Amino acid sequence: MSDLKLNKLTKKDLKHIFIQNVLGLQLGWNYEKMQGLGYAYSVMPALKRLYKDDPAKMKQALNMEMGFFNTTPQMAHLIVGADVALQDQLGMNDENEKAIAGLKTGLMGPFAGVGDTIFVAIYNAIIYSITAYLALSNQPIGLLIPVVGCLAILWVRWKLFQVGLAQGTRLATTFADSMAIFTEGASILGLTVVGAMIPAVINYKLDLTYKVGKVTMNVQSMLDKIMPALIPLAIALFSYWILGRKHMNSTRLIFVLILIGMVLGNLGAIFGWIGSLV
Amino acid sequence: MSISAFALIFLTIYVGLAQLDALSLKIGLFSPVFGGAATGLVMGDLKTGLIVGATLQLATLGVATYGGATVPDFLSGSVMGSAFAIMSGRGAAYGIGLAIPIGLLLTQMDILARMTNTIFQHHADRLALEGDYKGVERNNLYGIIPWTVSRMLPVFVGLFFGSAVVKAINAWIPAWLMTGLKTAGIILPAMGIAILMRYLPIKRYYPYFILGFVLMAYFTKSFSLLGTALVGFVFAAIHVMDANERKNNGPSKPNDNSNDSGNSDDEEVEIDV
Repeated sequence: MSDLKLNKLTKKDLKHIFIQNVLGLQLGWNYEKMQGLGYAYSVMPALKRLYKDDPAKMKQALNMEMGFFNTTPQMAHLIVGADVALQDQLGMNDENEKAIAGLKTGLMGPFAGVGDTIFVAIYNAIIYSITAYLALSNQPIGLLIPVVGCLAILWVRWKLFQVGLAQGTRLATTFADSMAIFTEGASILGLTVVGAMIPAVINYKLDLTYKVGKVTMNVQSMLDKIMPALIPLAIALFSYWILGRKHMNSTRLIFVLILIGMVLGNLGAIFGWIGSLV
Repeated sequence: MSISAFALIFLTIYVGLAQLDALSLKIGLFSPVFGGAATGLVMGDLKTGLIVGATLQLATLGVATYGGATVPDFLSGSVMGSAFAIMSGRGAAYGIGLAIPIGLLLTQMDILARMTNTIFQHHADRLALEGDYKGVERNNLYGIIPWTVSRMLPVFVGLFFGSAVVKAINAWIPAWLMTGLKTAGIILPAMGIAILMRYLPIKRYYPYFILGFVLMAYFTKSFSLLGTALVGFVFAAIHVMDANERKNNGPSKPNDNSNDSGNSDDEEVEIDV
């Protein structure tokens, strides 16, 4: 932070902005402006410092900062950093208002794309699958993993804020480049874990036997000879496929899986019923 | 067994705090696995809580509120499901079976909270025109009320009438339905996995997906999920080093290294299935 030259904003202001951003960005989330209200709350320490004695500029800044906004919260620090750094240097006027509003709306979409992949999908795939896997084997110690992960992410968020402050508007292009390679690596790690999760956490075993002459055959042990975890894999691939169909979403998939569960759970009874008909 | 007053109040406050955690720090309180563990701890059966919570966690791994979408409230589901399982003494599978419909039912509360916040947005819009920055700040903080009440109220009511509800369920739900719900609970983690597969570039990097599956399915005894994650990390690190080197050596674009051995120097290997 030492190489950072800000005119009016103090180190304390920056800390307040960061804390309000972490804690407050989504408190006022609503269907009209989404994180708009929370964004204005996040940059408020900067607005107070810069325009406290200038009501006209304060009104202009407040209205601009409260525009529609929505992105991955972890990525918002980059935009907030660039925003307050620009206002610190250029103040508030019609031209600068347009520039910052453009920066916000221009970056929130692409950043959400990258951020949702890294901070939500891959992060959850790795951190929470290991935690849940340990919890299933009655090891509550795994609950510490998300806590440690949270601290690490908090550090990353602080760094992203610094990058935003230092880079201003230039961050859009330069940062996206290095982010792309990182996302590829993270995707590889995520996919390896996702593949491993299928046999690790879908613990379904067919409870079905049939008789050939005097020998009782267990269907599950026959399937295991073809490939272990064949049914879990089939269910996962089916779910993946069906999620790609039109009019399908995760909530509807729950109902599909409940239906499959109903059938699988009562297989013995169903076969018995069919047998009684024959 | 019914729930103690302490546990009732503790869990009601817990889900409120957990929702605030989901919106801000994301320490983990908001996750179903924490919810189940907290319930188990306060009701004296940690193991049941952990299993209910972990199963719901796996089912919802990929389910996140991307862009403000509403998803089933599996935290409240996990808390109530664990509590009902412990109260009835019928085990974790029973709790999972109850948690799923509870989570689905509470979906509407999230929408209600987000709609209520629109009122504060309108207030803040008006105050901004007057330059009242303190009022804007205040209205953002008012958002805490709908967010927390939308979680605390249903959990309090659900747990308060808990033992009556459990009795009614036991009397009315037929055995085949409960068996079916239990089996659904076992296969439900497939949903979390499938959503992650949709979200990650599986068509491009599918060999790593197969690698993870094979390590875990065929070498169950010698591999854990953490071990597999480390193997994945190795390939990810190799990929990043490779891509950075390529970037520094020339303007050629980063190239994927989709080979199990991880050390091939193939140029422009693009796989689209």
